[in-house]
Amino acid sequence: MADPRDQSSERQDFDWLVVMSLIFLVLVAIGLWREHATAWRPWQRSFKRALAQAGRFEDARKFHPGIRQIWNPELGVVDRCVSCHLGYEWSGILPASLPQPLAPHPALPFMAHHPFGQFGCTPCHAGQGWATTASGAHDGGAGWEEPMLSRQLAASCGVSEGELIQMRCNYCHRRDQSTEGMDSINLAKKLFKRRKCLICHSVEGQGGHTAPDLTYEGDKDPDLFDFSHVSGPKTVFNWNVQHLMVAGTVSPKTAMPDYNMPPEQARALALLILSWRHINYPPQYIPQAAASPEPQPSASPAPNPAASPAP
Amino acid sequence: MAGSVQRLWHKLFWPWAPASEREASEAIVRNLWLHWFPAKVSGRSMSWSYSFWLGTAAASLFVILTITGVMLMFFYVPSTERAYGSIKDLEYAVSFGRLLRNQHRWAAEGMVALAFIHMARVFFTGAYRGSRVLNWMVGVALLLGTLMLSFTGYLLPWDQLAYWAITVGTNIASQAPVLGSTMRYLLLGGNFVGQQTLLRFYVLHVFFLPAVIWIMFAYHMWRVRKDGGLAAIVPLRAMRQAEPKATPQSKSYSLFGLTPGTSVAVMSSMGLEERDQVASSPNLTRRMILVFLTVFNLTLLLAMLFNAPLEGPANPSVTPNPAKAPWYFVWLQELVSSTTVHLGSITLSGGLLGGILLPAILLAALIAWPFFDRSPANAEGVWFPRQRNRQNAVFAIVSVAIVILIIVGLYLRGPYWHLYWPWSPRPVLPRVL
Repeated sequence: MADPRDQSSERQDFDWLVVMSLIFLVLVAIGLWREHATAWRPWQRSFKRALAQAGRFEDARKFHPGIRQIWNPELGVVDRCVSCHLGYEWSGILPASLPQPLAPHPALPFMAHHPFGQFGCTPCHAGQGWATTASGAHDGGAGWEEPMLSRQLAASCGVSEGELIQMRCNYCHRRDQSTEGMDSINLAKKLFKRRKCLICHSVEGQGGHTAPDLTYEGDKDPDLFDFSHVSGPKTVFNWNVQHLMVAGTVSPKTAMPDYNMPPEQARALALLILSWRHINYPPQYIPQAAASPEPQPSASPAPNPAASPAP
Repeated sequence: MAGSVQRLWHKLFWPWAPASEREASEAIVRNLWLHWFPAKVSGRSMSWSYSFWLGTAAASLFVILTITGVMLMFFYVPSTERAYGSIKDLEYAVSFGRLLRNQHRWAAEGMVALAFIHMARVFFTGAYRGSRVLNWMVGVALLLGTLMLSFTGYLLPWDQLAYWAITVGTNIASQAPVLGSTMRYLLLGGNFVGQQTLLRFYVLHVFFLPAVIWIMFAYHMWRVRKDGGLAAIVPLRAMRQAEPKATPQSKSYSLFGLTPGTSVAVMSSMGLEERDQVASSPNLTRRMILVFLTVFNLTLLLAMLFNAPLEGPANPSVTPNPAKAPWYFVWLQELVSSTTVHLGSITLSGGLLGGILLPAILLAALIAWPFFDRSPANAEGVWFPRQRNRQNAVFAIVSVAIVILIIVGLYLRGPYWHLYWPWSPRPVLPRVL
């Protein structure tokens, strides 16, 4: 036991106090440095350079570093993806060959009806909009249920990235007969009719009642599926694909016939089924199927002031 | 020149040192923040190896939690729609937000652990006897308050981890006979974890429980003062009282001239001698600052190295596999699951035995223990005295059992609540895509 009356013990306490104060200062310095050294900062510097190289000197001069986001409370969108993916709305001005994350978003035909400021990124691409790091935004980290629909994820499902994204298009377009640019989902909708699925299943109150209601089938807990007769990855998508091809193998007691349909048809139908989720988007985002088959966001919300300045 | 440099140095660093004993004690007595300390403190109470300063460390954590908690309150929104988003904002967009949340989280886990370890120290040194019985009970209440504070804070991020941990925790509480479901209803503000629950837990977490703990903490410290300091002085005082007093020689004047003899010996009110004590200022205050700064640095370092857990947003329709209670309650969950018996189609829930009866018995034993302690008085204020071996063994065995159950529940329980070694592969859980 150290006797505090002892001068050396007092000295020791004082020395430790000095050591701890220095450690505190070092930790504060590291904290400040880490706050400054964010993942997006180098990308914003490269973007500024890319703007200058494209001859947009005025824009480059006005560009100030900082977290950027597309904010739309109606959709619950807080998409900070644009803190790194800075070239997204500079299509035609910045070269398409610019590497990611600076590359401009491809000018797809339906993009005119889906302005960035109104839709953000995650409603189509999924991922974690809040995040300001690549891994946080793309995989979402532990327990994140909606990872970004990447090329790799699409490849693991045997479909293209675009086909995977069509599943999310159908969150709003579910009542369309067919939609421009949604070939895979359009095919699935046709198949759903041709195979007369509604004789047994019901969707949104229509159809038979001998088979499960599929209205919100995409929300079903993956743990509730029986994977004991499914080969390959344990995903709900894979379960649905195999179940659509040979239902009797996946669920031995099922009354569903074996359709023996080609895999690409089964995959399209599986994506359609997974798109049937309980999504609370405001009505102006849901196209009226009867009125116009084309996607027309009718009452457009006001342009978003929080979005980054348009070029 | 040298004079002005010295003046500047004095202005910047206040290198004040008491010039006399009187100045040292006045520095304590006259100061609002320090007046609850004694002017003098015994060396044994100050010793590292007796108390390990665990209580001070736990109190330091509480100070850190209050400061970081108030800062977090500027950003957090206690609504089911926005709570999760406000945590994500803290993590990704608010300056130092992630650091703040991490430090709050690790300080909270540390406070639960340290409050328990502090209690173990008090038990192993038999420091709950005599007038200290009351303070032991206050300490047990403070431990429970800390657990409640941590439990209510667990829900606030409103992620899957929080939602299901609180669901598990309150389901265990509902197993209590008679009052169980009423208690759960009262706590949740309904029959399931929802907006009312979040609001209730938030108010409990940021106002009610901290206020209760601050008041109880003040009383805890006041009692330490009234009990004469830490129990470490008990053996010292006994020794001093048994010692033959070497009374100082002196002369006194009598009617008939000078008389040689002795004068009275001066002892402090604690029954200690001058040489056993040091001035609280600066010895006690300096060491307290040192403990606080060490604890602060540790939590800051942890906050930089490890992120506080945060999973996907709370989803009542998807249960994580497995869903676990917070770590300090996972031993109860483990008890509940291992005392649940399946006999054919009949399932006897272990909720009552493991979740209610056993912890209630442990708590009652903890509170009542000082009244059944029959060890002799000289077994107080020292570590592991021989006369208390049996008691200490019981406490140690129960503590170790709880720690083992926590480790099993936390690290070895995998999907479907099956047991897995940390190195054995766990089944891949199904995903959507």
